Formats: sequence, C-alpha cells, structure tokens
Amino acid sequence: MIIKSSDQVPRTTLLKRFPIPRNFGVTPESRIGRGKNWPTPAGATRVKMFEIYRYDPDSGENPRLDSFGVDLDDCGPMVLDALIWIKNKVDSTLTFRRSCREGICGSCAMNIDGANWLACTRFISDLAAPATIYPLANLRIIKDLVPDLTHLFAQYAAIEPWLKTKTTEPERERLQSAEERSKIDGYYECILCFCCTSGCPSHWWNGDRFFGPAVLLQAWRWLADSRDEGTGERLGNLEDPFRLYRCHTILNCTRTCPKGLNPGKAIAEIKKMMVERQS
Amino acid sequence: MASQDRQNMRSPLARAIGLGSAKEGVGPWWAERVSAVALVPLTLWFAASIIAHTGSDYATFIVWLRTPLGAILMILLLIALFYHTALGLQVVIEDYVHSGTKFAAVIAARLGCYALAAAGVVATLRIALSG
Amino acid sequence: MPSTTTTRPRPLSPNIQIYRPQLTSVLSILNRISGVFLSVCAVVLVVWLVAAASGPQAYAAVQAAIGSSIGRIVLFGATFAFFLHLCGGIRHLIWDTVHGFELRSIYISGWVVVVASMVLTVAAWVISASMGG
Repeated sequence: MIIKSSDQVPRTTLLKRFPIPRNFGVTPESRIGRGKNWPTPAGATRVKMFEIYRYDPDSGENPRLDSFGVDLDDCGPMVLDALIWIKNKVDSTLTFRRSCREGICGSCAMNIDGANWLACTRFISDLAAPATIYPLANLRIIKDLVPDLTHLFAQYAAIEPWLKTKTTEPERERLQSAEERSKIDGYYECILCFCCTSGCPSHWWNGDRFFGPAVLLQAWRWLADSRDEGTGERLGNLEDPFRLYRCHTILNCTRTCPKGLNPGKAIAEIKKMMVERQS
Repeated sequence: MASQDRQNMRSPLARAIGLGSAKEGVGPWWAERVSAVALVPLTLWFAASIIAHTGSDYATFIVWLRTPLGAILMILLLIALFYHTALGLQVVIEDYVHSGTKFAAVIAARLGCYALAAAGVVATLRIALSG
Repeated sequence: MPSTTTTRPRPLSPNIQIYRPQLTSVLSILNRISGVFLSVCAVVLVVWLVAAASGPQAYAAVQAAIGSSIGRIVLFGATFAFFLHLCGGIRHLIWDTVHGFELRSIYISGWVVVVASMVLTVAAWVISASMGG
C-alpha cells in the first residue's frame, strides 16, 4: 500500500487496467491480434508463462500477443534471462534491446506487468501469472519489443545538454565546491532509459511538444550545475505552456524510475526556479 | 511522429524544437496557485455556511448574504473560483483537444467563466444592497 | 531505414490500455475529474445565487431541484468531489514548495487525501443532517 522505493513490486492489485475498452483510441495499424501459443518445455517442473507483444514489420500483419512457457530451472532469475532463454530455446526471432545486463545501460527498458522497468533488474519471482511484457508505452515499434526512441533523443538534444560557458577557460578545472557538486546528485545518474517519459500520461497525449520527465530531469541537471553559465537561456527555452508546463505532477515518473531517481522533484525545482526568476 | 514519416520531412531535432519556446507559461501557473491558496479558506467558509444554514428559510439565507462580511466573501469566492476554473479548464482543453477546435473551446470556457462570475457578483450585490 | 512508397506506419505500443493504474496516476486523474465536475457545479452555484436575487419563488424552485432525490445524490457527489479536489489541491500546493517528493511521502500523502476526503464528506453530511436538513 505504501511504496517506499521504486523497485517495490505491489503485492496487491486493485485495478489491473483503467476501466476503458481494450482498443480505446487504438489506430488500425496498432490493434493487437491473437498470438501464437508456443510449446511449453517438455519435462520441466517449474514453468512460468509469459505473454509477450510481438510485431514483425516484414509480415504485413498487426502486432500480436504470443504466449511462452519458460523453464525456470534452466533460466537465470531476471526477466531479461527469460527473454534470452526464449530466444535461444523457443523462438529465435524474438527481438529486444539489451547490453550490460546490470541495470546501467538502459537498453532493456520495457513494460513489465503494466509498469515500465529494466528487464535485467526485474526478478521473475516478482511477476504476475501470466507475466505480460509489452514494449515501452506510447512509442512507434520497430520490431517486437524495440521502440523508436528518435523523437525522445531529439527532445533531449533540444535542451542542449552540455556545459554552456562564457567565462574563458581556466588553466585546469572549472571549480566547484563539494556542496555545489552535491546539487546534481540524483540527476546526473540518469541512464536515459526513458521508462519515465514512456509512463507519463501527459507525454502520451502531448508527447510531440511536452519534453517529458527524462529530458526535464536532464534540463534540471544542467540548471543545477554551478559551473553552467547559460541558466537564463535554459530557463527561457523551457518556459513554455507545453515544453515544461504540461507536467501536472502526476508522478508516474518517480514511481517507475528503475534507478530510483526523482524526475517529479526535478521538474518541481525547475518550476520553482521559474517563479524565482519572476519575483 | 514517426521518424520515417513520409509527409513530414523535418529532421527529428526540428520536430522536437517545433515553433520554439513561447517564453511564457509561469504567469498562468502562478495565477492558478494564487487563486488556489485564496480558494482554500473561501470555499471552506462557503461550505461551513451552507452546512450551518441547512434547513433555513429564504429570509434567513438572505440575511446571511446581506451582512457586509457575507457579501464580500461571496464576491471574493466567485472571483477566485471562476479565475481558477478558467485557468484549469484551459489546461484540460489544451491537454486533450489538438485540432483547431481547441482555440474555440478555450475562448468559450474563459468567456463562460467570466460571464458566470459577473452574473454571480451582480446577483450577490443585488441581494446585499436591496432592502 | 527503408522508406518505400508502400511503407505502412509503425504500430504505436499500447499506453493507457495496458499501463498499470497506480496511486500516482489514479489520484491525479481523480483530481482532474473532480475539478471539471466542480466547474459544472459552479454553474449551478451561480444559478442558485441568481435565483436568490430574483425572489423567494425562483429560490424555492432551485431549492426544490437541489433537494430532490437526484439533486441530493448529485450534491453528495459534489461534496465528495469538493473535498477530494481540496485535499488533492493542498497536496499539489505542498509539492509546489518542493516538499514531499520521496516515494514514501507521495504514497502516504496520497492515502491521507483519499481518507480525509471520505471522512470530511461524511462529516459534512452528518453535521448538516443534525442541523435539520
């Protein structure tokens, strides 16, 4: 009932989905059809069922939901291990991004049991029965669980995520006290997995113009960096009814961050700085 | 929004930048908060008064609005309420309506709120100043 | 990326259709729904005031409508919407001072809003009933 950290998986589920029709607002090309039931492993004693979103751009068909049974005695503990097991043992066409397998690269971000998280840091034992795996929400899908992140990275580029200085370069470092450096703690650690942005309802409805929590958290990272000299310019670029102010403090972002960061708080800090600038 | 959208050949960065920053937005945000702070005591006063006047007849109710304090607080409530409502409704419409109808809807909502506020204030003044 | 003239648009991954309702998103949408509902109630408030300014007959007509069984149900809903939006609004105002953003605080304050709204709604109606409503 009381979630203390984002890695906590809720024990009870009062409401699995919002009470709206299954295909509410879904365009024809995005409708999910009935999928294949893949054969479960023979002789396995502990089998975990997974329902996984599939989309093959070469088939000309709509996306579908395939059902797989994973032999837990033959597979590692994390959801990513299950996906790799399925790819090795059952269906080699299952496509997903992955790299570090330790929760630091952000590649394997996806929607697991209704919430966005990294597949490599989610335990299979924490999943529902059957477990449902979808790609990150509200993104164009290239194939299976691989979303097109182009627009999100373009929004990141739009906030100019680099140190802006006018003062001439010092001999060695641009100095910063320990206290000043601590101001970017909790923000520099973002791995740009986009779990938060993909889970933000405001970004679902206005993602073309609203920057979203990941980008705004990084915007705050640069606003809070004492070495940066472009603060006024950055605030001017952010002060927009859509770029910043589509945030209504829904806080799905903070709930879902797999690194335990707090985009909601970062955005509140930006809004506070906006007011301080005016008054 | 697809990066391979045939119709829109703008680069992803150009699409993300859009029309550039409006360089305004903190004004309405601040106004909504200020009106919210005003509404906390005003609406609680209103709710308490209504509850206290349950079952009162017309005459008793009119007396409540005829007192200077009653009339002033009611007028302040109407102003704060409809200002907050106009701002809030504009945000809701902008969130969900993206076609040209958005502008008509926002104008209708704002003007409707101002008209209702004026009507309420005039009605309160009529009660307060009559008799 | 290939872009033939027959490229079909890529499907959009499901969002609200599959995303888990959480205390964060549910309370937020309830705050919005209650706000919009209260906007409609504000219209009724003005109608009521104008009726009161127009004299006892007009006032009695509006009072009768509000006092009817449907009117009372709507009024109960409006009371709950009011307290929900009030408590939710105060929670938002606290967030605007950049306090209470730890997940634990978000969840505790969320449940406080839910419980407080229900308690205040019931209290308002009980007190009102004891006043002779």
